[in-house]
Amino acid sequence: MIDLVPEGVRWSEDLLDRNAVARDLWPGGTLRFWKGEHAPAPRIVVWPSTDAQVHAVLRRAEALKVPVIPYGMGSGVCGGARGREDAVTVDVKALDSIGPLDTERWTVDCGAGVNGQHLEDWLDARGFTLGHSPSSIWCSSVGGWAAARSAGQFSSKYGVFEDMVLQLRAVSPTRGPFIVGEGGDAPDAWMDSLLGSEGTLAVITSLRLRVWPKPQARALRGWSFPSVEAAVEAMRGLMQNELWPAVIRLYDPVDTRIGGKTKPEKDPGDRSFLKELLHAVDGLPEVRKRLLSLPLRLPGLINEVFDRMAAGCMLIVGFEGDPAVVAASERAGNRILTAAGGEDLGVAPGERWFRSRHHVSYKLMPIFERGGFADTMEVACAWSQLVPLYHAVRDALSPTVVVMAHMSHCYPEGASIYFSFAGRGDVDVYDATWKQALDAVLAIGGTATHHHGVGSLKAHAASVEVGAAVAGWRELKHLLDPKGVMNPGRLYVDVEGIVPPPVAFKPEPSDNLAHAHALANLAERRDAGAPREPLWDWESFPMPPRWQRLPWQTGVIEVSGTVDGHAVRLGRAPRSAAGPDLRGWLSARDPQAICTFATAELGARWLGEATCDRPWEVARELLRGDLRPAVLNVVRGRLRVGFRGAAAASFGAVASTRVPGGLAEIPWDAGSLPSGRLVPCEPGDERCAMTTPQGYFRREHP
Amino acid sequence: MSSHRLDTCALCPRLCRPACPVASGSAREAAVPAVIAGVLFDWQRGLGDAALAAKAATLCVDCGACQAHCHLDRPLPAALRVARVELIPAPPYEALRPIEGRGRIVAIEADERPFAKALSRRLAEPIRRWPTADRLGVAAIDYPVFENRLSELRATLADCEVVVADGAVAEVLKRAGVPFRWLHEVVPELAAPTGSCRTAGSKPAACCGAAGPLAAHHPEDAVRVGKHWLARTEERRVNDARCRNHLVAIDRTVRDALDLLLEST
Repeated sequence: MIDLVPEGVRWSEDLLDRNAVARDLWPGGTLRFWKGEHAPAPRIVVWPSTDAQVHAVLRRAEALKVPVIPYGMGSGVCGGARGREDAVTVDVKALDSIGPLDTERWTVDCGAGVNGQHLEDWLDARGFTLGHSPSSIWCSSVGGWAAARSAGQFSSKYGVFEDMVLQLRAVSPTRGPFIVGEGGDAPDAWMDSLLGSEGTLAVITSLRLRVWPKPQARALRGWSFPSVEAAVEAMRGLMQNELWPAVIRLYDPVDTRIGGKTKPEKDPGDRSFLKELLHAVDGLPEVRKRLLSLPLRLPGLINEVFDRMAAGCMLIVGFEGDPAVVAASERAGNRILTAAGGEDLGVAPGERWFRSRHHVSYKLMPIFERGGFADTMEVACAWSQLVPLYHAVRDALSPTVVVMAHMSHCYPEGASIYFSFAGRGDVDVYDATWKQALDAVLAIGGTATHHHGVGSLKAHAASVEVGAAVAGWRELKHLLDPKGVMNPGRLYVDVEGIVPPPVAFKPEPSDNLAHAHALANLAERRDAGAPREPLWDWESFPMPPRWQRLPWQTGVIEVSGTVDGHAVRLGRAPRSAAGPDLRGWLSARDPQAICTFATAELGARWLGEATCDRPWEVARELLRGDLRPAVLNVVRGRLRVGFRGAAAASFGAVASTRVPGGLAEIPWDAGSLPSGRLVPCEPGDERCAMTTPQGYFRREHP
Repeated sequence: MSSHRLDTCALCPRLCRPACPVASGSAREAAVPAVIAGVLFDWQRGLGDAALAAKAATLCVDCGACQAHCHLDRPLPAALRVARVELIPAPPYEALRPIEGRGRIVAIEADERPFAKALSRRLAEPIRRWPTADRLGVAAIDYPVFENRLSELRATLADCEVVVADGAVAEVLKRAGVPFRWLHEVVPELAAPTGSCRTAGSKPAACCGAAGPLAAHHPEDAVRVGKHWLARTEERRVNDARCRNHLVAIDRTVRDALDLLLEST
């Protein structure tokens, strides 16, 4: 064991420590634990406290051919951090520094081992927020968020986790410590590959993240819709009108009714007769252990009963941030929701959701305790596929488990669906359920994972989804971990036989998506997008790296091409967390690649112009004041600010009050956004071409 | 253990993690309360050994933060106390010493510092001194045998005005139902601005690692928890002498109300 642990590194071979990291939060593992089966414990656990120590451990492991499992807080639900008997588990929790907080640039540095809630509390005490609020925030680490491409409940405003990462430090066995992103010493493209790599390439040790001032206003409301279809249309309307709500969550009829979304909050002491009865039965341990096993043998019947009981569905919509922007957004949003058939239920449902937004995990244990299992699956697809995908997965799951769903994490081009299901506590039933569900998702062309990552559970599905483009991950694996010691067997596996070609995806007009050649120029992309215009008018592909863009500025949504003669489709609109983001790799490798990009309808638009001192500084302040203009540039020394969608004129009016001398409306001109890698510059630099809350940028190659 | 159900905690996705000062400070996954519950649950159902369970049950400062955080209000702290009693023999504790001197107030001295003398000077009145080398035997507080000690304390301190500076002593008195005041309550200008875990403040997670069975059974982890506590705050003043004595070994600048009293007198 001593051979494996470099001097100075804290370690333990105590069974207590090894068992503790053997199991992550994969419900399949929890079911096995409940049945008395223990996950394999690693040989040893180490707690490096510096990058150099991490490197020393990885080098030893590589030399001794010992698998390495990076471990944050083990909150993954796909088995990506489960133990192996021959492995060393690298627990990153000793990498727990927080700060400095840069209050001028709005960034914070923090170690990979920092608990999510601790980071948020630390920022909150200083007047800031990360804006990342996954329901696992109490039990997950910042490094884990990066490794598995997490998404939080407010993602439609603040972005998913990779939108927040400005710099990432990591250590690989071969390369040692390196930095990507801001001030990086490694290729920019590595950022997209490390995020979502789930410990298979390197150990992520620290990150620099974008932060925001705490919101001054928050407006959450509940809306009732007669059907999922009607509510989905309303959600699409909110996103494609560029209102950027912080929260959009649609509960399907079963979740709305059975999940209790419409019930008023009760006094905890107030028990119905049924609850009293259940409470009494719960006191009988042998009965309690089997309480759900009988009803869960009849999931089809229960699903049918639930379907009959359910009627209508609940949508929670929330805006937060600057009060004037929130007010304008909410007014426009309410009009869209009402026009789509929504009934305003007031603020109570939204506020209730907000208070209990991290409590969902407490609902899982009682199901296991009573002889069942509970799990969740988060898939995603473009708007036009969303309802078919919802029905397809429900149909696939209904014969074996009781199922309900909510839809959240919305984008202008699509959304994710989060299925919650419960079945009889039998490992065979559990495994069969997952196979049916994943097959249904892949058959319809959605992604098998929106933000839970891949691990072991979805390794086969992710490998099918990524197909031959797995070569992109292997190329970097060869550079960083040629001996293959980093988390082997997770993320991607060799899929036996011929990988089926990816399902061709033909967007419907409602998806606001268009295709263009990867080398297309702006004019060609505008033609391809007609009669709409590109949502973001990048001069060319590739766009600036993610950390130089604004979180809501998407680039390419999907890339389709060929690798070694095999057709591949990467990205899966709107977003996939099936491992690293290999879209950039594919479009660089395949000169014939086709890129799918988001477009905007030529509806309401408002463009204003002003002559003011230091226009880029004024532009930056507009972003920092929660405005999200579609156009924000300086043309011949004049500031231009433009908005699209239902609140365009209102946003324009708000912006006008924040620009010295105000903005004068002019005819719409989307202008263009700079492409390629950008270089930080001063706001007064005449080459300045873009701003984010973090600073100013010019083109690297004018 | 039969009266304490541990299944819910053992199955829980470790939601109490951020509240636990030991889990946060030690960086050990084994110290997460829900993980400890899992070890005890295995022991309870005959799948784990007692030595491992004892080790797990002592990775705790008994601050109650896990239960306070738990949306289901699971009484894990009580279950851990019961488990420790079942798994670990009762530690010995010394006989109570005589109370020295005269005066209406009794100052309980739990370390080598002359608490009673300094308080006497400060209040300009005679103070009785009651020294204890093992903080009135706090390590055995959860064991049935300690009931005798509690009765003894109630009898000895009946009609006394008791002042304490040490959290462990306070814990014992509280269990005995003996009224007492903290030094910083008697002399408010000595109070630390933010208080410390057991004496003030609503967040028990502020524990520095000095309390509960942790320091005796896992001294290295207790130091880690202390370092973590110090790294998260610029505050170097505490009210509780137990915290001070633990933290001063890590950072010499840490001072408590008693240090300030001694300096001012």
